[in-house]
Amino acid sequence: MKIITFIRHHFLFCLGMLMFLILLFFTFFGEYLPGIDRDLKEIEYIWTDKKIPLAPPFEPSEDYLLGTDRDGRDLLSLIVMGAKETLLIIISITIIRYLIAIPLAFLAHKKSLGIHHLVSWMNGFLSYIPSIILVILLVTLPPILTSETRLLYLIIVLAALEVGRVAEMFRLEFSQIASKEFVTGGNSIGVSNFRLFRKYLLPFLYGKLLISLVGDIGKVTFLLGQIGFLGIFITQVFVQVDAGQFAFFNTSLAWPMLLLNSYNDIRSAIWIPFFPALAMTYVIFTFNILSQGIQKLAK
Amino acid sequence: MGWDLLKSFLVFLLIVVGFIFILLLPREMEITHHGGLVFTADFPFTFDLFKEKVQDFIHHFQTEKGFGENKMGVPILEELQTFLQRDLHIIIPAFFLAIFFGMILGIIQFYFREKWVGRIQAFLSWIFSSIPDFFFYIGLQYILIKLVANGYLQMNLFGNDDWYSFILPMIAVTIFPMLFMMKFTSTSLENEVGQDYLRTARSKGLQRLFILKHMLWNCWPSILNQAQFVMLYILSSLPIIEKLSSYQGAGYHLLDSIFKNEDVRSLAFMLPYLVFMFATVVLSKLVKHWLVPIKSGALR
Repeated sequence: MKIITFIRHHFLFCLGMLMFLILLFFTFFGEYLPGIDRDLKEIEYIWTDKKIPLAPPFEPSEDYLLGTDRDGRDLLSLIVMGAKETLLIIISITIIRYLIAIPLAFLAHKKSLGIHHLVSWMNGFLSYIPSIILVILLVTLPPILTSETRLLYLIIVLAALEVGRVAEMFRLEFSQIASKEFVTGGNSIGVSNFRLFRKYLLPFLYGKLLISLVGDIGKVTFLLGQIGFLGIFITQVFVQVDAGQFAFFNTSLAWPMLLLNSYNDIRSAIWIPFFPALAMTYVIFTFNILSQGIQKLAK
Repeated sequence: MGWDLLKSFLVFLLIVVGFIFILLLPREMEITHHGGLVFTADFPFTFDLFKEKVQDFIHHFQTEKGFGENKMGVPILEELQTFLQRDLHIIIPAFFLAIFFGMILGIIQFYFREKWVGRIQAFLSWIFSSIPDFFFYIGLQYILIKLVANGYLQMNLFGNDDWYSFILPMIAVTIFPMLFMMKFTSTSLENEVGQDYLRTARSKGLQRLFILKHMLWNCWPSILNQAQFVMLYILSSLPIIEKLSSYQGAGYHLLDSIFKNEDVRSLAFMLPYLVFMFATVVLSKLVKHWLVPIKSGALR
């Protein structure tokens, strides 16, 4: 009875949790489900009824629930197999962003080391230039482009871009809390800045931190989707394709990489970009609902 | 006011210079031939190369007395004019539709917030704002393609040749900023609830609609501050939506020129975007100055 009342009172939280658990289930156990091709077998052609060889991509049908991509790999299997990598990237971007932003916010609040100027300049710059343009310009720089640990750099670039926004948000929160009397009390007995940060200010922000962190996961997913459409690889190999000609090839299974060719796919095989984009929309939905749910729960 | 605008202009200039420096960072591939069929590729990234690129860039402007020509021999400014016109067809209606309808919907949402109309509206807007615009666009295309394939509809879904070509991309970039404006308007109206001047107005028997007008006037400063965000969102999404719909506007060619490392051309396509942002900032400041002559809160 208690459970039912809890669900009725916190419907959004429960729905979000349920969607999140489904997502986790498919991420970690999806590959063992029947109908999922773990090896991602490529099919060169299939025979039609009239004995004509037909090349991929194949439309969604009974054999291929969501259709296949241009190499003849089953799209459903691709999505399930790529989920782990995608979620790992999204969540690490968000967490790294907050790990950098919170200390920055405190330093900006204290106006030490000139961090407050840095934060306001970052925000000013990004309120003029679309972040996706900056992402393109930064990740095509040679040290990042050719690095062995490209994925790590990419995550850091994506995390760092919006650090200013998050830092500004929490700087305001810090200033608000700092005007309370107990902080003045702490100051008067001479606590160190670190202790002030850890014991006086931060404990009041755990709830807000969680809500905005979960909400940010949706935003990161959106940015990652845009990267896919622009054809920026997450992990890649550099090979010589012909005498004197070199090219990068994608080696990642993450969902945005299924959108790479969407410019052509959208005209001929629209299911290839549609289902990965749907999967990303599901992730955004899940975390938005969860964030709202936690917000209501906190009240 | 004049000092304020001058300050915005200086910030704008600094941002343009900052952008040019990021754009000019060396990123070209260098292929060396070692004789026979042996080639190696390298991506040099040194400060000397950067200095050289900056000098070349300045030299280019000095010799060409402007942006010069693109690889096909067409003057870049001429090319830009054509593409920018197509962009304006999307940006201007999208911007004003997002702000205007966003505010109207926000007011409706606030007015009916206790009734089921408001609840349904809040729910729907929340769902739509969780859908990324690229998915919205692909989904719309999927439906339209099915309709066209089955003969229910006859239209060109891609390109920029028809008079209606701009509508689909425009809808895709308008929805999110519109919902954002709506949410922001209704939230800032809700923040006004409980103020003393509302009780006075009500005690004198003023109708609800007129009270709403008074509240709205108090919200102008914070609402108008969001114009910059609306513009930024439209400009960020436009290149990608243009690419998906092969609507050949400035955004499409901006991405193209950045990926091809054509620095001068990239700057030529990026500058109008920065100018749009600057114009939005100036416009919102002017409107605020005109609508709210006194600094907000000065009377309270």
